[in-house]
Amino acid sequence: MFVARSIAADHKDLIHDVSFDFHGRRMATCSSDQSVKVWDKSESGDWHCTASWKTHSGSVWRVTWAHPEFGQVLASCSFDRTAAVWEEIVGESNDKLRGQSHWVKRTTLVDSRTSVTDVKFAPKHMGLMLATCSADGIVRIYEAPDVMNLSQWSLQHEISCKLSCSCISWNPSSSRAHSPMIAVGSDDSSPNAMAKVQIFEYNENTRKYAKAETLMTVTDPVHDIAFAPNLGRSFHILAIATKDVRIFTLKPVRKELTSSGGPTKFELHIVAQFDNHNSQVWRVSWNITGTVLASSGDDGCVRLWKANYMDNWKCTGILKGNGSPVNGSSQQGNSNPSLGSNIPSLQNSLNGSSAGRKHN
Amino acid sequence: MSGTKPDILWAPHQVDRFVVCDSELSLYHVESTVNSELKAGSLRLSEDSAATLLSINSDTPYMKCVAWYLNYDPECLLAVGQANGRVVLTSLGQDHNSKFKDLIGKEFVPKHARQCNTLAWNPLDSNWLAAGLDKHRADFSVLIWDICSKYTPDIVPMEKVRLSAGETETTLLVTKPLYELGQNDACLSLCWLPRDQKLLLAGMHRNLAIFDLRNTSQKMFVNTKAVQGVTVDPYFHDRVASFYEGQVAIWDLRKFEKPVLTLTEQPKPLTKVAWCPTRTGLLATLTRDSNIIRLYDMQHTPTPIGDETEPTIIERSVQPCDNYIASFAWHPTSQNRMIVVTPNRTMSDFTVFERISLAWSPITSLMWACGRHLYECTEEENDNSLEKDIATKMRLRALSRYGLDTEQVWRNHILAGNEDPQLKSLWYTLHFMKQYTEDMDQKSPGNKGSLVYAGIKSIVKSSLGMVESSRHNWSGLDKQSDIQNLNEERILALQLCGWIKKGTDVDVGPFLNSLVQEGEWERAAAVALFNLDIRRAIQILNEGASSEKGDLNLNVVAMALSGYTDEKNSLWREMCSTLRLQLNNPYLCVMFAFLTSEAGSYDGVLYENKVAVRDRVAFACKFLSDTQLNRYIEKLTNEMKEAGNLEGILLTGLTKDGVDLMESYVDRTGDVQTASYCMLQGSPLDVLKDERVQYWIENYRNLLDAWRFWHKRAEFDIHRSKLDPSSKPLAQVFVSCNFCGKSISYSCSAVPHQGRGFSQYGVSGSPTKSKVTSCPGCRKPLPRCALCLINMGTPVSSCPGGTKSDEKVDLSKDKKLAQFNNWFTWCHNCRHGGHAGHMLSWFRDHAECPVSACTCKCMQLDTTGNLVPAETVQP
Repeated sequence: MFVARSIAADHKDLIHDVSFDFHGRRMATCSSDQSVKVWDKSESGDWHCTASWKTHSGSVWRVTWAHPEFGQVLASCSFDRTAAVWEEIVGESNDKLRGQSHWVKRTTLVDSRTSVTDVKFAPKHMGLMLATCSADGIVRIYEAPDVMNLSQWSLQHEISCKLSCSCISWNPSSSRAHSPMIAVGSDDSSPNAMAKVQIFEYNENTRKYAKAETLMTVTDPVHDIAFAPNLGRSFHILAIATKDVRIFTLKPVRKELTSSGGPTKFELHIVAQFDNHNSQVWRVSWNITGTVLASSGDDGCVRLWKANYMDNWKCTGILKGNGSPVNGSSQQGNSNPSLGSNIPSLQNSLNGSSAGRKHN
Repeated sequence: MSGTKPDILWAPHQVDRFVVCDSELSLYHVESTVNSELKAGSLRLSEDSAATLLSINSDTPYMKCVAWYLNYDPECLLAVGQANGRVVLTSLGQDHNSKFKDLIGKEFVPKHARQCNTLAWNPLDSNWLAAGLDKHRADFSVLIWDICSKYTPDIVPMEKVRLSAGETETTLLVTKPLYELGQNDACLSLCWLPRDQKLLLAGMHRNLAIFDLRNTSQKMFVNTKAVQGVTVDPYFHDRVASFYEGQVAIWDLRKFEKPVLTLTEQPKPLTKVAWCPTRTGLLATLTRDSNIIRLYDMQHTPTPIGDETEPTIIERSVQPCDNYIASFAWHPTSQNRMIVVTPNRTMSDFTVFERISLAWSPITSLMWACGRHLYECTEEENDNSLEKDIATKMRLRALSRYGLDTEQVWRNHILAGNEDPQLKSLWYTLHFMKQYTEDMDQKSPGNKGSLVYAGIKSIVKSSLGMVESSRHNWSGLDKQSDIQNLNEERILALQLCGWIKKGTDVDVGPFLNSLVQEGEWERAAAVALFNLDIRRAIQILNEGASSEKGDLNLNVVAMALSGYTDEKNSLWREMCSTLRLQLNNPYLCVMFAFLTSEAGSYDGVLYENKVAVRDRVAFACKFLSDTQLNRYIEKLTNEMKEAGNLEGILLTGLTKDGVDLMESYVDRTGDVQTASYCMLQGSPLDVLKDERVQYWIENYRNLLDAWRFWHKRAEFDIHRSKLDPSSKPLAQVFVSCNFCGKSISYSCSAVPHQGRGFSQYGVSGSPTKSKVTSCPGCRKPLPRCALCLINMGTPVSSCPGGTKSDEKVDLSKDKKLAQFNNWFTWCHNCRHGGHAGHMLSWFRDHAECPVSACTCKCMQLDTTGNLVPAETVQP
């Protein structure tokens, strides 16, 4: 179904993050070599590195694009305890003619006392906002009040999560029915059984973010978290990379049924749980419609997940990390056959309940 | 290494060989099995590799430790440390004529016999072998042997030779070490420091010591318990790991007083710690009785110089096999590859994968980074359409102008790929709704028209209590059935179902003919039967059986049908009611259900879910009384709403109910495209203003933008504004005069009272057009074009960029171009500008602004502006 090809990345150390811009014509990568690279796609579909510069004095964990409405803007976060905002400018030099573009640092966000582990721009409709999370367990939300001036960012909110944070995801829904919402994952590996995913929601009345939901069932370290693009759905889908791939749906209970002003209540359902990666799952990413989930894990494979019309999630593709196809025999993980046989039954029961919800 | 547990070692140079040692040494050869079958006698190591046993060496009993000769040797020269402290050189090769022939069998004997704990070859001087031994009060515990040195009999005390009493070839015994270190101490682990050939790091009894062979009287040491398994990071020569019980200590040799870092303690004692030779800062550890190898990815460790940063260590565990692991070994060159061995000598070969980060691009391609490499993966175009994701489907449908055929509305399902029965039903429903609304509006302008788009549910409700049934004769049969008299509403419902055509005629004939033409014989036969025309039904089935694509069995069905009897207890009736359930085609099934049903009870037809909703509803309209019909429609509507089945739009129409139904459809499929276009087909404004509908439209527009389908998005907006004029955006830009500050727009409607004779500055075609170079408000001249230096408002005479050539090819196109060339353009940054045509042709060859001394790179300022809409690139 899928074919992979390799691109010479030329980073000197591990690449930690890949991120596309809104149109998918530009890409940014960041690495332990402390640099960020920007790639542009040519009309023929090839990627060309058009900028590469040292961004931090430590490993760069994540890089992310702002909506093009705000210009060509990137944010990066690093082990060096900072996050930074970068903007592409057309300088005096003739860089553009050589196929190189110039990026300048607009601001450095220095509030964290520890490594900044994730950075994400808020959905466009909220304005130019940025959330970071750090190993000291604090989520910080910044806003650029003047979108023309990217060097002015004010710290709007500090949310304490009590646990070392590893990843954040904004709820992308722009529906007026949904308040701004952010999910935070923790990779805290201490053996306490605390929930590792918390969801915070903005309250119009108090003008603060308050905890709306805690996923009590997720107690293992969480490495990545991603809300699916909402695409007009009446509920939200959240994918979690922990010791397995998990997909939750959060259906807001209609406002008129709850007391107004308080946090939205959600009907929480787990719709899929897959341990095919055998051990840790590192990343999850949704396609543009939130209908296909890609995950990567310790088995060195990229797996694709998709729901059928019965809301029954299945693996629809496996690729090895080096791009080579996986031969058929290995589709079922080889290390733990007993688990492999447990999962289908679990799946059935899960899907049975969700199908029942939908069709009865 | 204990005697019972096997250890495992990769050959340092022959990267396809490894040795397993317990009581004997076994040499294996690893082969890839990707393109070949498993050979007989070889052991599977992983999905794509297998090992073959090459040779076994059991010459050296009492093995305690093994070290592989570091220089390239085809004969696999190994040093074996024994329980009595002797170090024996042995080989696993079969060829005894090699240059190492002299070395094989050589023994290095310490003065006093005690266990040899560890061996280490010097990485630079390949002849130097360090051995670490247990404590002896009168002897040294670290002995460095030169393997090329000769036998020196006079120094050997007699009792030491006792162990090899039977040996005749005493020339192979060496008893004089090159260096002797660590008197009255024990040595548990050793490693040479790559910084200098003569530096040796040793884990002694209660300390870590660095011996400098240039001056053996001096040593640097630090007291610690962590003295086992000392090993140097191959990428960072000052970093050393050692362990004690469950704790790993990381040392920096530049600041040797205390460990820079200790890793979280394991509950069980460690047995092995090893740096990955192919990757920076990756340490693998193994504990006793465990099937897990723990990996510590040291992104950052504190250094004695620089600031005190807290360490970043990513801890991972891998489980190479189900059994406990006795030992493991990193492959010397293959990235992150290791082999593990269990106590019962099963082995497995596996690779520790880097953490892959990944991202989807909006155009269904997936990019991921694995290690230092990037991979891009795109969906293949020639995919089976059924497996395509909705994202791909929507993209293709947008390109094929799906949803934009507002005349032949039903054709939209063909634009959608003609593959989804629900979409087909939806667009036919919308087509009929549009058709009959127009029809109604013509007949009686006013009220009824809106009712059509409200769906059959509302139509049926509005006719409550006005219909009576009457008995009708079957054609071709001596039988009568109760059929509802068709009032206006029911006729309309049947029309929407597509059973009957426009007009007062209630004949299903044309509908049957079209079904037959499309090859839907079963459905046609069923519809004929429901209209009490059994003869026509049989005729249709016969036709179907004889046609090319048809099923011969249809003849059999026709035969069965012709045997119809009205008697209640006949064999025919009995057999039909049981056998009909085995029919695959739902229409054949409901035909018999209808014939065998009791009068007034048609559940077998009404609740056959495989029959199209429109046929079931049409059937219900014909046979059910008003109350029954209402109840049935209500029930069916709720069912459709729950399931998000688009066929149900027939019932709900484009009402709030319809939005509910569409909501479940979108929840299920994510198809905001269909939802948007459907709701824009003729919904009343209050439905269109529903938050959900607005949200779908917004999401769909956003998708089109992300795909750079800007033309499609613009077309969509135009389509939308037809139904919802409020969605039309206001004028975006006004150009105001430098002098009077008034808009220089020529649009009279925008500025109605702008003084006299304003219309003379009117748009194209006006004879005065060429004079419009001044502000209509204050009559001051407009700014000049930066290139032609003529006041704006003049038509562009010629364009050096070469649009001339197009002139003759396409007159209409050129006309448009010429008008566009006249447009005012200016750079938002430097505020210089001119005629659009002149500017475009200037920037074709230049990067900087045409105004002298202005270095603004006007055209490059906007990155999005330089993007090409995707539609123009698409085939």
